[in-house]
Amino acid sequence: MSLANLLHLYRIRLRARIVGECFALLGIAAGVALLFASQVASESLTGSLAQLSKGVVGDASLQLLARDTQGVPDSMLREVRAIPGVRTAAPLLEASAQASGPRGGRSVTLIGGDSSLRTLRGALVAHTELEPFAGIGAVLLPTALAHQIGVTHFGSEATVKLYGRGARAPLYETLGPRKIGGLSASPVVIAPLSYAQELAGLPGRVSRIIVAPALGREASVRRALLTLAAGHLNVTSTSYDEELFAKAASASNQSTALFAVISALVGFLFAFNATLLTLAQRRRLIVDLRRDGYSPGEVLRVLALDAVVLGAGACVLGLVLGEELSVHLFHENPGYLGSAFSLGSQRVVGWQAYAIAIAGGMLAALLAVLSPIRQVRSRDPLAALAATQTAARSRRPAWSAAVGVACLAGATAILLAAPKLAIVGMVLLVCALLALLGVALDGAVAALARAARRVRGAVGHVAAMELAAARSRAVGVAATGAVAVFGAVAIGGAHADLLKGLQNSARDENASTDVWVSPPGAYNLLRTAPFPVTAQAKLAALPGVRSVAIYRGGLLDWGSRRVWVIAPPAGAQPLLAASQIVEGNLASATRRVREGGWVVLSQALATEHHLHIGDVVTIPSPNPAPLRVAALSTNIGWAPGAITMNASDYARLWGSSDASAYNVRVAPGASIAAVAREIRAALGAQSGLSVQTATAHEAEQNALSAQGLERLTQIATLILAVAVLAMAAAIGSMVWQRRARLAKLKLEGFARRLLWRTILTESALLLAVGCAAGAILGLYGQQLLDRALANVINFPVVHSVALVPALISLLIVAGAALAIVAIPGYLATGVSPAVALED
Amino acid sequence: MLAVHELVKHYPSAAGEPVRAVDGVSLRVRPGELVALYGPSGSGKTTLLLMIATLLAPTSGQVKIDDRDIAAMSDAQASAFRLRELGFIRQNFDLLPGVSAIDNAMLKLLASVRWREAQRQITPLLERLGLGGRLQHRSETLSMGERQRVMIARALSTGPSLLLADEPTGSLDSQRSEEVLELIRELCREHNVATVLVSHDPLAAGYADRVLDLRDGKLSEHAVRERPTAAQT
Repeated sequence: MSLANLLHLYRIRLRARIVGECFALLGIAAGVALLFASQVASESLTGSLAQLSKGVVGDASLQLLARDTQGVPDSMLREVRAIPGVRTAAPLLEASAQASGPRGGRSVTLIGGDSSLRTLRGALVAHTELEPFAGIGAVLLPTALAHQIGVTHFGSEATVKLYGRGARAPLYETLGPRKIGGLSASPVVIAPLSYAQELAGLPGRVSRIIVAPALGREASVRRALLTLAAGHLNVTSTSYDEELFAKAASASNQSTALFAVISALVGFLFAFNATLLTLAQRRRLIVDLRRDGYSPGEVLRVLALDAVVLGAGACVLGLVLGEELSVHLFHENPGYLGSAFSLGSQRVVGWQAYAIAIAGGMLAALLAVLSPIRQVRSRDPLAALAATQTAARSRRPAWSAAVGVACLAGATAILLAAPKLAIVGMVLLVCALLALLGVALDGAVAALARAARRVRGAVGHVAAMELAAARSRAVGVAATGAVAVFGAVAIGGAHADLLKGLQNSARDENASTDVWVSPPGAYNLLRTAPFPVTAQAKLAALPGVRSVAIYRGGLLDWGSRRVWVIAPPAGAQPLLAASQIVEGNLASATRRVREGGWVVLSQALATEHHLHIGDVVTIPSPNPAPLRVAALSTNIGWAPGAITMNASDYARLWGSSDASAYNVRVAPGASIAAVAREIRAALGAQSGLSVQTATAHEAEQNALSAQGLERLTQIATLILAVAVLAMAAAIGSMVWQRRARLAKLKLEGFARRLLWRTILTESALLLAVGCAAGAILGLYGQQLLDRALANVINFPVVHSVALVPALISLLIVAGAALAIVAIPGYLATGVSPAVALED
Repeated sequence: MLAVHELVKHYPSAAGEPVRAVDGVSLRVRPGELVALYGPSGSGKTTLLLMIATLLAPTSGQVKIDDRDIAAMSDAQASAFRLRELGFIRQNFDLLPGVSAIDNAMLKLLASVRWREAQRQITPLLERLGLGGRLQHRSETLSMGERQRVMIARALSTGPSLLLADEPTGSLDSQRSEEVLELIRELCREHNVATVLVSHDPLAAGYADRVLDLRDGKLSEHAVRERPTAAQT
């Protein structure tokens, strides 16, 4: 059959099945949209980091990296340039800072470079002249940041605060998309190297030297750099930040990926339900074509065209919807990750997001449309007709139950023995859910039939008969709700447990102080920005202040992890939080860390480096020295892991007496808020330090944790909404298609009210069974994810069984779908009994 | 007792002159009596049945069952009438697909009695109709004759006072037709049901107490014919 004829056949058949095709198209489009939007959200964070990194380093492939914010002397640049095989070497000073202007402020990365940076052709500086204003001390701002803080004209000033210092920096130029492309949305302040050093208070220091080796000389240059580093500096590839970020964001990305798969599955089930509406017509078509002499291949081409048109239409619609979702709803919020990585707010849409979404959409269309493929390939031309007549009887509950139980057993084995494979466990749980749903539905229908026998009235009987007669469709509808509720309960429950754990962690961290004094800005949420200790005595002398202790902390790149180092003052009470210790004795660990020379490592770090309590460890700090492991902890809420030591040890290992915060305890009876005001006044407006009560800091940490996990809540809500619509549409169209059958019952004298009650009973049973099965296995999934988060990533998860949220999800989905179905149900029962006589 | 008096059903037509589908039909059918109604296609047979079954409102005239005017019934009353007092057998087997023979047969009974009682009542009837071994078989697995017998069982399950049969043998071969007609007549007598049987099948006349002809919406009565044999048809 020629393509023209195939298209003609498609067109003339379309009219009769337009409603079913539209439902299928919507279903697949919903899945494609969710898949695409969640992919874009994940890719944007990683993409923005990679874009910015590449924009700065250009074609440099190696870097000599300082291990602390003090950096290395820029005189080292000469030594690097002298290494044989180095084509270009450029100094770079980078520092987290807070930039503000008349319209507000935000966390930024200050980047200082010189003219050698331009030769590396990074997009950020390739077309930017740094020399002309190097002498006057001015900065360049990307347009998005300039507008956000309200510093857009030449000469207008931005306030840049970092390392406990503040300075007013005049604007030289804004950088728009025409000059730096997508980087115009990056939160960076660019300055000539000397001015950046002045702003940071680090004259003659750089944070890294980026190196472009000559062709084929990378290995020898790397060796020479390692010699030069002498164990005090890191030598890495320039994509090192991306590797570190991938590790830090892996938990969040895996959750999103899991949700994306569940979204796609809900969309597919929506489409599957819709294609069931036209399945009988497709089987009829197969019979007709085969009876008229068309070969299985030709029939397959007819069906394939159906699938391609459906898939292509759904992909286009889904990508448009997904684009809207990603722009307006799923715009990525870097949350707490922004405190350790330079993340932009630009959307980065790679070809992978399109490819995955389109592949998912086309696969769903092919699976849904080509489901009668067995009958097409059969040698019996009437096989499809036979399938229509026997479809309702084709049950294999024993097999389904066996598959379901096997999947459950697999998930349980993963839960108990291999929580690392949690994603596989979740997939097994979804398979178990789909396999056991038919069995559960059969049981529920049988129970309904039995219950109906005990009462007078036909509602229960007719409902049970109808459900048993259309089992495949009933299972399809119930599965849609089941998968959606499963995802929402499992991921929502684990999300809530993680949030509770992070809240506990924030409470513990803030328990040892009343007031924090530290450099301002969201980038410094983890208290990792250092500043010189100059005001301790002044603050200690204030009335109402009992003590001022020095807290230190920082970020340390160790292997593939950017680790959070927490160094409270040795006298802090408590020094270690009981809720965060997972192995070891709290009292002895506290005593040892207080004495010095001992650290507490998060369990994942210890596992990765094969360390146990009592072992000696040398961490890659600027001044490495042996330490011993006192206990193992959670990751204290920081995915890559944490190391806890006392502040004096930190000063020794980092070779700096700088503080990261003053921990202020107020005198008994004094008001914390009043003392905070006094401290603020004593420091003055230009101090570059902010004052925050521990309660306010805890609230800020909690808000940021919630913000970082917000996308999961948004996706869960969307999945539930899609599931409600999918089930309502599927049941509604199922009921609408049943009008002839309803007419037959009316012909027999069944009143409209009775038939409506029958439809509501059927729908309620379907929805209740589907959603309840989803909720029950969802709670199981929650345990699996909790265990993975706690044991593999080491998060401080508070284990719980989210019964109430599960019940709420169940009631919302089932209740909303039932309420929607009631309308087409009522309209369908208005069918005239005479319709039954029209055939 | 079914009493139809001057029943009229006119449909408007584009030409202006209304189509007189049923034009002043009067008819009485006593309990236990079987009346066969013949007529060519378009003569108004089905329209007449629909009006008697409360499925179509007449333009004028009355349909009375035991002196109750069914044309004046509300929707709910009409439903209750069809459920409890009327049995309706049709050519195209209104069985619910995917549902067993016994469940299909006792569908109407379930509205008024409990399942066990319904099963107790319907089983002897199905056995008598030769379906004792097919009770749990789904409707689509039954033969045409078996499906028709399930319909008969359902129609008679509530002990109706009126039975309407519209081409009940239309899809059956001669032998099956005779069996079905014999059954309808037996059951009509046994249950004292007033029965109106619309058919093209010449066999049907042989089983009827009276034979009526409907042409152009008007009725005329014929003498009861001798029952023809299957061979003669």
